[in-house]
Amino acid sequence: MARSAMAQETICALRREISRIEGSLPERLASPQAGDSVVLRRGISAVREGCSAFLGTGVPKLDCALAGGVPRAALTEIHSLQTRDAGAATGFTLGLLALLRRADGRSRKQFLICWIGLADVFREAGFPYAPGLEKLFGFAAGGLLFVSTAHIADALWVAEEAARQKDFGAVVLEVRGNPARLDLTATRRLHRRAQELGRPVFLIREAAVAEPTAAPLRFTVSAEPAAPRRSLAGLLQDSIGHPAFTVVIGKSRAARPGRFILEWNPHEQSFREIRPAHSGALVPASGNRPHPPAAMGAVVALRPAGKAPAPGGQPPGKERPAHRRPRRAG
Amino acid sequence: MVSHRERNVQRIAALDEQAEALGLKPGLGVADARAMHPQIEIVEADPEANRRLLESLADWCDRYTPLVAIDGSDGLFLDITGCVHLFGGEEKMMQDILSRLSRQGFDARAGLASSAGAAWAAARFPGLARILPGQEADALSPLPLSALRIDAETRIRLESVGLHTIGDILHAPRAPLARRFGAGLLVRLDQALGQAEEAISPRLPVPPLSAERQLVEPVVHAEDIENLVHGLAGTLQQDLERRGEGADVVQLSLFRVDGAVQRHVVRATLPLREPNLIRRLFRERFSASRDEIDAGYGFELVRLSVLKASPFTVVQTDLAGDGMVAEESLALFADRVRARLGEHVLMRPVPVESHIPERAVRMLPFAAGGKAALPEAAVPAGGTSGVPERPIRLFLHPEPIEVAAAEVPDGPPLNFRWRRAIYNVSRAQGPERIAPEWWHDDQEDAPTRDYFRVEDTEGRRFWLYRQGLYGAVEEMPRWFMHGIFP
Repeated sequence: MARSAMAQETICALRREISRIEGSLPERLASPQAGDSVVLRRGISAVREGCSAFLGTGVPKLDCALAGGVPRAALTEIHSLQTRDAGAATGFTLGLLALLRRADGRSRKQFLICWIGLADVFREAGFPYAPGLEKLFGFAAGGLLFVSTAHIADALWVAEEAARQKDFGAVVLEVRGNPARLDLTATRRLHRRAQELGRPVFLIREAAVAEPTAAPLRFTVSAEPAAPRRSLAGLLQDSIGHPAFTVVIGKSRAARPGRFILEWNPHEQSFREIRPAHSGALVPASGNRPHPPAAMGAVVALRPAGKAPAPGGQPPGKERPAHRRPRRAG
Repeated sequence: MVSHRERNVQRIAALDEQAEALGLKPGLGVADARAMHPQIEIVEADPEANRRLLESLADWCDRYTPLVAIDGSDGLFLDITGCVHLFGGEEKMMQDILSRLSRQGFDARAGLASSAGAAWAAARFPGLARILPGQEADALSPLPLSALRIDAETRIRLESVGLHTIGDILHAPRAPLARRFGAGLLVRLDQALGQAEEAISPRLPVPPLSAERQLVEPVVHAEDIENLVHGLAGTLQQDLERRGEGADVVQLSLFRVDGAVQRHVVRATLPLREPNLIRRLFRERFSASRDEIDAGYGFELVRLSVLKASPFTVVQTDLAGDGMVAEESLALFADRVRARLGEHVLMRPVPVESHIPERAVRMLPFAAGGKAALPEAAVPAGGTSGVPERPIRLFLHPEPIEVAAAEVPDGPPLNFRWRRAIYNVSRAQGPERIAPEWWHDDQEDAPTRDYFRVEDTEGRRFWLYRQGLYGAVEEMPRWFMHGIFP
């Protein structure tokens, strides 16, 4: 008993120390679901009056797992595993931006977004297309500002400068892969800027693997089959309905993993959690056959960028076939 | 020795003092010269390089006057009206130019006169360096006719009738001269005597305002240059305030000790006056890693010019001192990004009246036109409900995909290969037919596109199109990937 109390005290002391470093007071909150566990919710230094520190996603379970929602004054990472999932990652980010715009009470034209991307992202994953953004997420073309740079250092500089601007409602930085320059220091600088002004910075990372960054929250987004369209007569078979994503919480302060399937409703401009239409593959994979079909997309050009492909199939230098070894004399 | 080809014969175009001492002359054939002196070294003339050298010299001469014009292949005109007092008089100025050029290794000759024609003659004929106003006729009279800038044919015809010097035709009756030798002769004569106006067209546009600083000790460090920019901008600020204007385009000219001239231009979205802001823009310009300034042995003259100015509206600041209007700070952000990374980096989408997807949006560089930083986009009447589905990301160039099987004649593909990966289509919507805009000339023969919104078995949604129709034309239609849906 005494030991556990001591451990509790040590944990409290450590938390206090962490909050001192971060410049905010720890606040204890009982988790809405589990009564005994304690969720630590830290105050955010520079949130404007009248705004909550968190942006609610509109999905109660997701908000609960995030201990309130997506933090406003912070850097948030949104990952996609492959470049071809760029649509899902971008769509989820844009959904969050649309919610943010509504929560801020800004009109379509007042809400300015600075979207910074490297030229190779825009080339590989496509350039954000204003009519689509307007149709699905309600962003006016006049409220978008794009910056396309050739080097990651320039993109980071622009992002830091933009995160300092009061004019932008949010800053989006889009990077492909895991560039070395986008390290703990660089993300910490972005995070600090976001904290200072109380405006979020979204870091979309296409085809990237998770690595330590200063962002308190990381989502991994992938595509999800959309639900069929509804009509008065019922579901329309073989129709493609509202955008849907699978969102996995990779890292958060609440430290609760979660996997959510969300649907974006463009008419109501809101997220909704849905159940997957079919669990499991459409066609059952044939088992115990000599040559099973390879998993799709395993050997393609769209591997996560930044990692050099291992020279597959090449035996190491020492392991030569027997007939190529120097023949032993005698 | 430099040779050039003239009527299929290599002739000497120019030669140095050593070759001159050997008795060679320009115009002599190279073969003859080699026969006389086998050890001579001959280089082929490069008129392009000569022109470049002359242009860089003209750039350098910019330090004396903004009105510098190139004359032919070997001369420069400097209009020094109003600049003389800065250099301590005409004589001193000419000596300064000549001594600096000779230190750079040029053998230059200068002439000074109140008309361009007389100065041209003074620079080219010995014994004359400076022709005082009113003495043109006396000074030019003994000179041969080639001092008049007339073509060789006219000169030969004049000489054939016994007119050899300018003095001969100066006193001859004008009407017969004009009748026999053309009006051009008299125009040249009048220009040389200063009786006819001759405009020198400068190479570079003359900035409306500029300020400069001559430095005794050359500067090398970027911070020193920034401080100088700040000081010069302070001088310009007074001029701009007097004129009620702000600078749109500011140019910094750095004159290096060895004669090279560097020019850096920054553009402002809103008219600028504040020296601090101008300094900040140039700091971004210098800190861009790719555009390193090469200081060499240092800069001896720094000039800041306003290339373009526009009316400046003074905005009253509030008492809190937080005078920076939102638009203004955004413009400054844009200016800094552009100064550092280039003009094309910052873009904003502008909807265009077109139903071809890639033409429906144009990416324009941010705010070329002053105040209209973010203009109101034209919103289609009736909202977005009637607008067909459009992807959120569009590929800059539609990427060709291989479609092995599609529903013929106008159905969606069953599967396709894009970027070496195979995608199986589980659901599809379409087609949405987009016909070319035949009223544009370049699109008259473009094939029709049928767009499909497809979803693959893993849930990714794409926007594909088929270019052309099955069975309609000889060649098979091709499929393209054009966009990604969320």
